[in-house]
Amino acid sequence: MHLLLVGVSHRTAPVDLRERIDFSTRGVDAAVASLAARATNSEAAVVSTCNRAEIYLAAPDPQVAREDVLGFLVEFHGIDASEVRPHLYEKQDSEAARHLFRVAAGLDSLVVGEPQILGQVKEAYSTASAQQSVGPLLNKLFHTSFVAGKRVRSETSLGEGAVSVSYAAVSLARKIFGRLEERTVAVVGAGEMGKLTALHLKAQGIRRMVITSRTTAHAAALAETMQATAVPWERLHAALAESDIVITATGAALPVLVRADVAAIMKPRRNRPLFIIDIAVPRDVDPAAGELDQVFLYNIDDLQAIVQENLTRRAAEMARAEQIVDEEVERFAAWLRSRGAIPTVVALRQRFETIRRSELDRLQHKLSGLPPEARARVDEVTRLIVEKLLLTPTEQLKALPDSETLSAYSDALTRLFSLTPGNGAAGGDRCLRVPEADSQEPIERRRAKSG
Amino acid sequence: MNTIPLIAYVAAAGLYAAFFVTGRASIGRVASTVLAGGALLHTFAMGMQTMSIGHVPIADTTSAISTFVWLLAIAYLYTEMTTEERAMGVFIVPLLVALQAIPAIRPGLEHRAPILESPWFGVHVASLLFAYASFALACVIGITYVLLFKEIKAKHLGFFYKRLPSLQRLDAMNVRAVTVGWLFLTIGVVVGGIWTVQARADAVLDPRIRAMSILDPKIAVAMLSWAIYSFQLYARRAIGWSGRRAAWLSTVGFGIVLLNFVAVGYFLTKSHNF
Repeated sequence: MHLLLVGVSHRTAPVDLRERIDFSTRGVDAAVASLAARATNSEAAVVSTCNRAEIYLAAPDPQVAREDVLGFLVEFHGIDASEVRPHLYEKQDSEAARHLFRVAAGLDSLVVGEPQILGQVKEAYSTASAQQSVGPLLNKLFHTSFVAGKRVRSETSLGEGAVSVSYAAVSLARKIFGRLEERTVAVVGAGEMGKLTALHLKAQGIRRMVITSRTTAHAAALAETMQATAVPWERLHAALAESDIVITATGAALPVLVRADVAAIMKPRRNRPLFIIDIAVPRDVDPAAGELDQVFLYNIDDLQAIVQENLTRRAAEMARAEQIVDEEVERFAAWLRSRGAIPTVVALRQRFETIRRSELDRLQHKLSGLPPEARARVDEVTRLIVEKLLLTPTEQLKALPDSETLSAYSDALTRLFSLTPGNGAAGGDRCLRVPEADSQEPIERRRAKSG
Repeated sequence: MNTIPLIAYVAAAGLYAAFFVTGRASIGRVASTVLAGGALLHTFAMGMQTMSIGHVPIADTTSAISTFVWLLAIAYLYTEMTTEERAMGVFIVPLLVALQAIPAIRPGLEHRAPILESPWFGVHVASLLFAYASFALACVIGITYVLLFKEIKAKHLGFFYKRLPSLQRLDAMNVRAVTVGWLFLTIGVVVGGIWTVQARADAVLDPRIRAMSILDPKIAVAMLSWAIYSFQLYARRAIGWSGRRAAWLSTVGFGIVLLNFVAVGYFLTKSHNF
């Protein structure tokens, strides 16, 4: 059984193609269900975000499964195979695992270290779980990816610091005012940049927002879309005196607020801090206003410098994050190898169990004279002997360091015990439990069944 | 007796510093646990001292310092629990270490003069020690406020920006600590006055009681600190002196308190040297 990843992301495909194979429009659960129904895989999950669409499968034959996935994409999204094929990437086993771990850690994101992606990976897993399309392989894969994502988040500062101008402004506001719900925001100028920053603040729960512009109609229009209050331009100073956060983004060629204006605004505020975000170019607020006590003045260059610094710091943290991903991939790969031993282990167990049963059957006429408890005891003792004999070989097989050694050992065991190759190989974990469950039945019932 | 909690405080100071630098929550939790353990050991030490001398060890300056450290540790742990902020520990715990070193190196004699057996005296010292602990917290919060304020103002968002809570939060914590401290300082001073009047009648000849006046350095400096904190609280309401100015005032106020508590207490006072 192999792990297979087929997908497209912002690294390989242009946005129009990504939009067309975005699973979220027609439902990730529907996609998972229709994937799981196909015969070429035994487990399936879909990770779908605006920047990627990735399919994770457990498949006995990766080549066949890959072609089938392409067929699925063509069917599901109604697109041409030749359109999508050049943009697909494909990874197997531990490389597929590495990819998912990097995704979960935010290393593969457009903005490195962005925090939402881990939640999106978790969502992908729970959607697939709800469709009952995940088994032991994808369970282990996704859970290890959560571990990798969490470790990167807690052990590195990859996700720290704002990486957009708007978010840098929001995080500054939070550092000055704490909770922002009760604060008042004034937007000066009804342009696009001011609107963007105001939207970010609105998302922080700001309830009171006033908007003013030289053109009253612009202010009124923006105020309507933002659920804010429009204030006439003449009342600018009064509105600012009542605000805590001011966003200036007018197209004016000369400063709208000089130092004296801001000083006058500060008077009635009795030292309450004022945070001015001047994102206009040329600047709307005289830089000298920033010298006033309790005035925090940041212009677009200041914010961009913060963003740049944070981006540099994130890049420096990437090496540590990659190292964590390496460690988790190594753990997962060891687990995968130990799974490779399962068919041999199952065959070995079945072989031993067959011998045990045939010996018990051979002795049946001698045992039939014994009371039922004694017969049950004989069954129990023989079973325990078999278990004990198999314990160490099983552990050793699962701990073998690489697949070549494993296949050498498997060959040797197959020959030594004349195992039937492939016996139980398809069953995976479930087969392991069959002999145990069986042996708990009393010996009489088993005989009654066979007879 | 005072050395064992000191060792725990030293360990906690190291852990808080490590937490502050690395920002790892797990180290922070260990630091809090070690500090709580130190405070617990300190409680036992004080309990044993109380049993052996028959009263709470607060009568001489040295044991009062140890009691103050104990109160400050508890007040800080309480603040930490209620605000979920551990960043302050790196400033508070070294103060615990520095002050606890005094009783650890120089154990108090604790011969309590008969005139100190009045319950008024116990209330007087206990309120003042609690007030000082609150002022210590306010001072540390004030210092961190100023550090963060400067970083944001200078647009160099770095070390403190990443680690400290918001300015607004620090300001609110500061005013709460100063208010509590001011209340206990007032109670302590008033009760001290009442006790002096009583003691004057009981022990007319004791030179220390005779020296109890507003001109004694210890009392004069205490009144000065009361004036500063009163002004801080008044100015916040009346003329909007919050934030940075309040932070500076509480720092200056605690400087004076500490000077009075240790330096004046050991060397200058004629009235309070018991």
